[in-house]
Amino acid sequence: MKRRALTALSILLLASAPAAAGSLPPPQSFVLVNGITVLLHTDNELPLVSFRLLLPGAGTASEKADGLADLAAAMLLKGTSTRSAAQVAEELDRLGVSLRCTAQEEYAEMSGGSLSENFPALLALAADCLTAPAFAADEFAKEKQRRIDAIRQVQDEPSQAVRQYFRKVYFAGHPLGSLKGGSESSLQALGVEDARAFFRRHWLPAAAARPVLVVCGKADAAGLKRLLASTLGRWSRPAGEEAVAAAAMPPLPAVKGRTCVLIDKPDATQAYFMLGVPGLPFGDPASPEAEVMNTLFGGRFTSWLNSELRIKRGLTYGARSILQSWRPGGVFTVTSYTKNDRIGEMLAITFELLAKARQEGFSAVEVESARHYILGQFPPSLESLASKTRAYSELFFYGKGFDYYDGLMSRVEQADAAGVRRAAAALLPEQDYVLVVVGKADDIRKQLEPFGPFSERKIRAGEF
Amino acid sequence: MKRASFTILVLALVGHGVLAGEAASGGARAAFRRENIAVHRLDNGLKVLLFEDHDIPNIAYYTFFRVGSRNERPGLTGVSHFIEHMMFNGSAAFGPGEFDRVMEFNGGANNAYTGDDFTAYTDWFPKAALEEMMKLEADRMRGLLFDPAVLESERGVIASERRLGVENDNDNLLDEVVRATAIMAHPYHWGVIGWMSDILGWRRDEISAYFRTYYAPSNAVLVVVGDFASEPLLALVRKHYAGIPAGPPPPPVTTAEPPQTGPRRVQLRKAAQIPSFLAVYHVPGANDADFPALSLLETILLRGESSRLYRRLVSDDQLAISVSGGVNETIDPFLFYVQAKPRPGADLEKLEAAVAEEIARVRDGGVTPLELQKALNAARMRFYTPLQTIAGKANMLGQAEMVYGGFEKLFALMDRFAAVTPAQVREACRKYLVPDNMTVGTLVPAGGGQ
Repeated sequence: MKRRALTALSILLLASAPAAAGSLPPPQSFVLVNGITVLLHTDNELPLVSFRLLLPGAGTASEKADGLADLAAAMLLKGTSTRSAAQVAEELDRLGVSLRCTAQEEYAEMSGGSLSENFPALLALAADCLTAPAFAADEFAKEKQRRIDAIRQVQDEPSQAVRQYFRKVYFAGHPLGSLKGGSESSLQALGVEDARAFFRRHWLPAAAARPVLVVCGKADAAGLKRLLASTLGRWSRPAGEEAVAAAAMPPLPAVKGRTCVLIDKPDATQAYFMLGVPGLPFGDPASPEAEVMNTLFGGRFTSWLNSELRIKRGLTYGARSILQSWRPGGVFTVTSYTKNDRIGEMLAITFELLAKARQEGFSAVEVESARHYILGQFPPSLESLASKTRAYSELFFYGKGFDYYDGLMSRVEQADAAGVRRAAAALLPEQDYVLVVVGKADDIRKQLEPFGPFSERKIRAGEF
Repeated sequence: MKRASFTILVLALVGHGVLAGEAASGGARAAFRRENIAVHRLDNGLKVLLFEDHDIPNIAYYTFFRVGSRNERPGLTGVSHFIEHMMFNGSAAFGPGEFDRVMEFNGGANNAYTGDDFTAYTDWFPKAALEEMMKLEADRMRGLLFDPAVLESERGVIASERRLGVENDNDNLLDEVVRATAIMAHPYHWGVIGWMSDILGWRRDEISAYFRTYYAPSNAVLVVVGDFASEPLLALVRKHYAGIPAGPPPPPVTTAEPPQTGPRRVQLRKAAQIPSFLAVYHVPGANDADFPALSLLETILLRGESSRLYRRLVSDDQLAISVSGGVNETIDPFLFYVQAKPRPGADLEKLEAAVAEEIARVRDGGVTPLELQKALNAARMRFYTPLQTIAGKANMLGQAEMVYGGFEKLFALMDRFAAVTPAQVREACRKYLVPDNMTVGTLVPAGGGQ
């Protein structure tokens, strides 16, 4: 197994952080008659094309029902008025292309990639899925059951389970608390009509909703315009559906006092924790210093957290912190795991490190190191066509210019120890936090006492 | 999941097609072709492959050693992976932890992975950091400290990795048992992580001796791709690596797996929500003439929702949530995997019978030209996708050196794949995917699971 999972993660994070000179060339841009903005970045090195269509307001936060947004998105690939689900799958496989349809928190996306020679066929298929999805009852039942089966497995995978429980506890009642995959009971309650209605209401091509299609790779503007005129350009909103700007999400929940939950998994040999506090909204002016702080605290291999828990003590294989950002706000989370009898020690060290970072901050040399690290690791994070399509579409979604990362990068370059200390003092938890632990309660209950009080629940297959 | 989860397969070559010619670029960038790869060899045996790619101001610096769990023995299983960890814990000029500290201070990041056949150490950094990075890599090739306290701490990390990755992961646990049942004699018998008692028992002197044998420049290939000029880079390579002595030739792996002459079966009972199913068949290594046909058969049987086993097990009979598996690119003969994640409550006997029936259908009726074309399209996609990045290019060149015995083979793979006929796929299926050559494993929920 790879030695550490940190690298990939920190690079992902940097997609919401800084950049080197001219990291994203300005794309060509035009608007289709149905209101979809198209951004094109031509790159002829390889015979490949990547695309991503982003639909604001069709994400998981649009609906209370856990799992509905992503299930509705998945149904687009499960048959159209002229193709059965098997035919769609067969055609994708025959062309050797990828096409996925999924819901993130703030938007839904359809994305894919192909050899450039197969891109016209891929777009034609994508357009058919978007404009004439069948929402067939039997395919819906199969897909729903497949998801329920997969959710039941999460009970056997505590590293996944702790994230699901954390999301429910932290965002209780807020739209961001909606589970992408759903729970067994939430999925059981859904019918194919719910998915169809969600699609009709939220998947709307119209300028007001600011949908965007990004294409990167071996494609030129004239050819793409022709291709779109006969494919995605023909997608129109259903009669009677008003396209409106996606409703703004309410502010994220404030975290007051300690909210601590212990999920009892009697057969667990290791205990997993996830600790969270409020972070920053996307594009917040404090982001550069926060990224440097996170890099030093738990965002890379030599971070304080990983050094103490893994490198010095061998308590775990990995420990990390991350910053996640959305429009209305963000979260800062810390996660790790260890043997049942060491979880108390692990949490004590984690809280000591948080207190130290808050009170003392980081040295000038540490801050310099983090700056180099963020600057040095940024270019590869935008190297592939898929990562470029992601970056262009997200900057458009968040209303930022395509030089956003360059600006952020130059501000990271200027971050100093004082600014990073302020970020630590502002973000890192002291008395107010949400803490979720999954483990064998009889072995760990006593150890957790200093960090609680904890409410306790038994792990349940398929429910969170 | 296929065999060792301890190898990163993100950039895997598995069943790629090939390129030459198609990667032609419109601009000043040199195409990724055989003739544009520069090859050098130092007197101490270190082989160096270079490809200049100036797209981003970074460098991918990959060091491959011809050592993996294939080179281990009972008592020392898992030690290649352990040395992977110790490579970050102190060498002559850099104390424990310094490697990562210096690397990250200079804007670099790194990783490493250990497989059955080879180990790769992978660095990504801004071009200005080149010489600092080279000092780090050359120093640890020269020798490791194996500080006793650090060694014990890292032993704990590995034990935790094993508990998480094998003992707490039902699919991997079943994989370990099935592999050990199918392969009796060859060192592929054990997984890359090694047995727990070995992890707890390796001695420092054994580890140190193992390092001296397998991590010398004569057993390594350095692959550098990115934003550099080749001549100055080579001068730096000579400056930092030329003084490292060559090692003795490592002992060859001579044990051959005896032919299997009847089906084998193994069952695990364990607390779980749902059962696991895995069937494996002995198949030849990556250089064998039958390998491309088996790789294409993998796509036809197991990849994508239109694959035969997905349709049968997931779509039609609804016995499974997913299917996966296929061949692995290995030096010596290994296994063809057929893994299905059963639905809760699914009848495993029915599932096994359906797998057997679908494979028999290929043996009897063969595959269609359309299925073969589909598999080739998928192979080309899998080949090009990693070539988008300097890291992917470096990884593919190095893997071809390790498994195929030369990076040149990478540029001929497309021809090997394109030449496969439907009849050859059927023949390969008839030759290898037969009941007497099969080992079936199931993990059955014990106690409260349903």
